[in-house]
Formats: sequence, C-alpha cells, structure tokens
Amino acid sequence: MKIVNKLIFFTLIYSAVALPQGFNVKAKGSQTFYFQDDKGRNQATFHSITALDEVDGMSNKISGQISFDISDVKSTLKGEISITTASLKTGISMRDRDLKEPKWLDAESYPTISFTIKKVINVKQLAPNKLDVKVLGDFNLHGVTNEIPVDATMIYLDQSPATEAREPGDLLGVTAKFPITLSKYNIKNMILGTRVADKINIDVNIVGTNKPQNTN
Amino acid sequence: MKINKKQKFAIVAGAAVIIIVFIIWLINGGYVFTQTQVLIEKKDPLFGTTYKQWKNKFIPGLDLTLVVTFISLVISAVLFYLFRNKRKDLNEDSK
Repeated sequence: MKIVNKLIFFTLIYSAVALPQGFNVKAKGSQTFYFQDDKGRNQATFHSITALDEVDGMSNKISGQISFDISDVKSTLKGEISITTASLKTGISMRDRDLKEPKWLDAESYPTISFTIKKVINVKQLAPNKLDVKVLGDFNLHGVTNEIPVDATMIYLDQSPATEAREPGDLLGVTAKFPITLSKYNIKNMILGTRVADKINIDVNIVGTNKPQNTN
Repeated sequence: MKINKKQKFAIVAGAAVIIIVFIIWLINGGYVFTQTQVLIEKKDPLFGTTYKQWKNKFIPGLDLTLVVTFISLVISAVLFYLFRNKRKDLNEDSK
C-alpha cells in the first residue's frame, strides 16, 4: 500500500513539473512583446445589448507590453495593455461624443482604460505555440480599479517570411473576452440599464512584436 | 364629417409611407439611432482569428423613422385640408 501511495505522490509531482506551462517554440528565454500598432489592426471592441438598443464600439489606439518566459508562462507572465478612452467609436458621431462626457467615461479626466496582469490562474496548452490562459488582473476604467478574471488565448509565431510581411520579429497574438459591469466603475446615469447595458462584453484582439520599431 | 376621394388618398398615402418606413426600420435591425458605420468581421489568415473593421453602411434608426413619419403626417394633413370640399364657399359666392 505504501508503494502505491508513493507512486501516486511521485506521479502527481511529476505531472505538475512536466506538464507544459509555456510555449514549445524555437524562441527561448524571456520575451517582451510590444502592442503599439500604428496600422490600427489591434483592437478592443465592446458590445452592449438591451431590449431597446444594441451598441457596438471599438478602439484601435492600443498600447502596452506583455513579458514572459517561453517555457514558463504561468509564473512569469506580466504586463499591461491600455487603450485611449477618447479613441472609442460606436459608428454614430453624436454617441461617440456622449461616450467621452463626464456622465459616461469622462475621457478628459480618465484618458486611458487599462488592464494589468497580476496573476496567472491557469495555463492550458492547445498546441505547441498556442495557450489558453486564465489570468487575474486589475481593470481600470473611469478612475476605478477592480480585480477581474480574464480568459485569453495566446498564439506565438516565430519569425518567418509570413510574420515579417506584417511586422519584424516574433509575433504574439492575444485574444481575450471578458465582461465588465459599468456600475462597478462608478458609471451611473439614467440611460444605463435601458439603452446601454450595465454588463458590457469586451473582446480584445491584439498582435505584438518582440522587435518593435517604435515603442513610444 | 364626410371625406372625399382625394382626402381618402391623402390619408392612405400618408399611412402607407409610415408603414413602409417602419418596415424598413425593422428590417434593418430596429436600432434607436441611425448609423453610418457598422462593424464587420474579417479573418486574420496569419493567426486564424477574426477581427473587426468599420465599414461605411447606412442603417436607418428610429430617430430617422420618426422624422419621416412626422413629415408624412404633416404632408397628409396639409393635403387633407387642401382637398376639402369647397361647396359651402361656392354657395356663399352665389349669394
């Protein structure tokens, strides 16, 4: 019986150590990816749906960086991604103006919306260069910071002719989906809950490079 | 009050315009505000993911629908007034 217990114990220890917690790609060691994108490909979109109205919006003004060790994403992943509040567009210029006003996002007082990674809860390898990660981080909106969990997928592409056509260096594609509750960020007005939902779904789709041409 | 054929036409035409405008609004998604741009999905062949892009597209909202409805009502009312029977005036003239 003791031997069986020992076997189970060592199997568990081995599984914890041997299970991939990072990428299995050509690149090695610590990497930092920059998400500044002058071409406007990187984006964060939001979707609000109520019985009265449906609103879609997007921002392409994304910046920030993510760093991690290739072989151990779980314990080394850190970084911050932010968007410019004033860059949010909804397809209606009048509504875009309203969105930036003090009763909504107050773009003048709070010029950025950001997410800072604090901790990785779980890493699941889907392919040698593809990971599903669940992270816990600080989401800052309208001057209020709340800790939220975010599900993300990371795809690592080693430098190749195909990636060079887009940007130099290795590329990291990140997609993430998460909901936020506007009232938890001190956004409260009469329209909230009727024409604009309190719960907003956010989608992020960004591509970063480890050889940025301009990190400013 | 008795209405004549022309007045009937003014009412029916006005109602038809309003019904058509509301049908167009519903077919286009029943949005509150008129949109001039919509988000469309695009495929990223390098990563196999989808991303969104703005595309210029006119989608009438309830705001425009109500404006057209109001204009239609005003035109119908004016036509209804202009098409009224003028027999009484003629009688008065003959006196």
